[in-house]
Amino acid sequence: MPKAVKGSGGVCHELRRRLSAAREIYEGVYMVPYRSAIHREHVRHADLFLILSFSDFLGVPDPVQFYTLELLPELIDQFHSWHLRMGLDSAPEGGFRCC
Amino acid sequence: MKLRDALERPVLFIGGKGGVGKTTLAAAAALDSAERGTPTLLVSTDPAHSTGDILGLQLSAEARPVTDRMWALEIDPAQATEAYVNEVRARLADATPPRLLHEVERQIDVARVSPGAQEAAVFERFARILGEDRFPRLVFDTAPTGQTLRLLSLPEHLTAWIGGLISRRRKVSQLGRMWRNVAGAAAGSASESDDPILYALEERQDLFRRTRSTLTNPERTAFVFVVTPGHLPILETHRAMSALASHGIPVGGLLVNQILPDASGESFHQRRRARQAAHLADIESRFRDWPMGRVPLLDEVPVGVDGLARLRPLVRWTLERTT
Repeated sequence: MPKAVKGSGGVCHELRRRLSAAREIYEGVYMVPYRSAIHREHVRHADLFLILSFSDFLGVPDPVQFYTLELLPELIDQFHSWHLRMGLDSAPEGGFRCC
Repeated sequence: MKLRDALERPVLFIGGKGGVGKTTLAAAAALDSAERGTPTLLVSTDPAHSTGDILGLQLSAEARPVTDRMWALEIDPAQATEAYVNEVRARLADATPPRLLHEVERQIDVARVSPGAQEAAVFERFARILGEDRFPRLVFDTAPTGQTLRLLSLPEHLTAWIGGLISRRRKVSQLGRMWRNVAGAAAGSASESDDPILYALEERQDLFRRTRSTLTNPERTAFVFVVTPGHLPILETHRAMSALASHGIPVGGLLVNQILPDASGESFHQRRRARQAAHLADIESRFRDWPMGRVPLLDEVPVGVDGLARLRPLVRWTLERTT
């Protein structure tokens, strides 16, 4: 509500501007690297899980493959986002034909 | 533990080398249990399926009554695979986005014929039968030793593997939560508070755990070996017993089968020979279109390369007379 602070003039406005700048610096210096580190870690672990679930594709027999068929819809979606992230526009040979 | 106690456990496995009489004794044990008043299910896990032959009934994957308190079924690997795959397919039909449906179907078809699929399906069926409380007594007529050791040790191996997958998945979920906390709107709106993958994996692990805990509980389960007085059955049974013990499966004892009676006089042999002549005639007529060799029963078992070398003239003799 910009009208309400009009009376106390530019002091309050100035304070706000500085606070917001400080928050942006904090974001840029601390939060952005932290956030991207967590994102990278998340994606790495998700990929590792994908490999473990479909080790067959790499020629490593998976003893529980038959018991994890229920996971297929979820994991095919993940596989799709994986190959896009790896810069492959279409699914690589030997994997899922997701697109 | 007395053999009697072992034979009266709620879950009784009868096992041993091929041809020692497992099926006959398992059927007899199940019948005895039923006669004494406990509803009993006889289950054959042997894909060769002699249980139906011995009962003189056509058995299938569903329990069918044999007497008023005894039922029997045979786990059929091909049928079990089919049933499991169809079950998964039905469950996935609702959950799968239409654009992925085709690929999911294709993957399921690949898995159906993959090595190990039948083994897995047989185990699945076996675990479910073990988990049901429809019958207070289960008697298992098992497949020959190797296959049975594998079947009974599967829950141990699979629990370990799936445990690894679960802890990996937990890590993924946990990092996903952290990412959503710090990223807010950038992480997307999808709430993954309950991860369906984690849920499916834990459900599996639970089935494996329950199976294993039944198999290793000496109050509930006993494995009784059938052995015949012969060189190979003795050695194989000896090894199998320690293998089972190492997997924590309680061994209840031994049934020694096909012992020649003391008074095996002239009439005993005559009767056995008459029985054999009938079977030989049956073989001649059933397999008349096939070349056939005949090897006599020996008074001693040929063991080792030297022993087998003594068989060579006999084998040649057989081959010369092969029809």
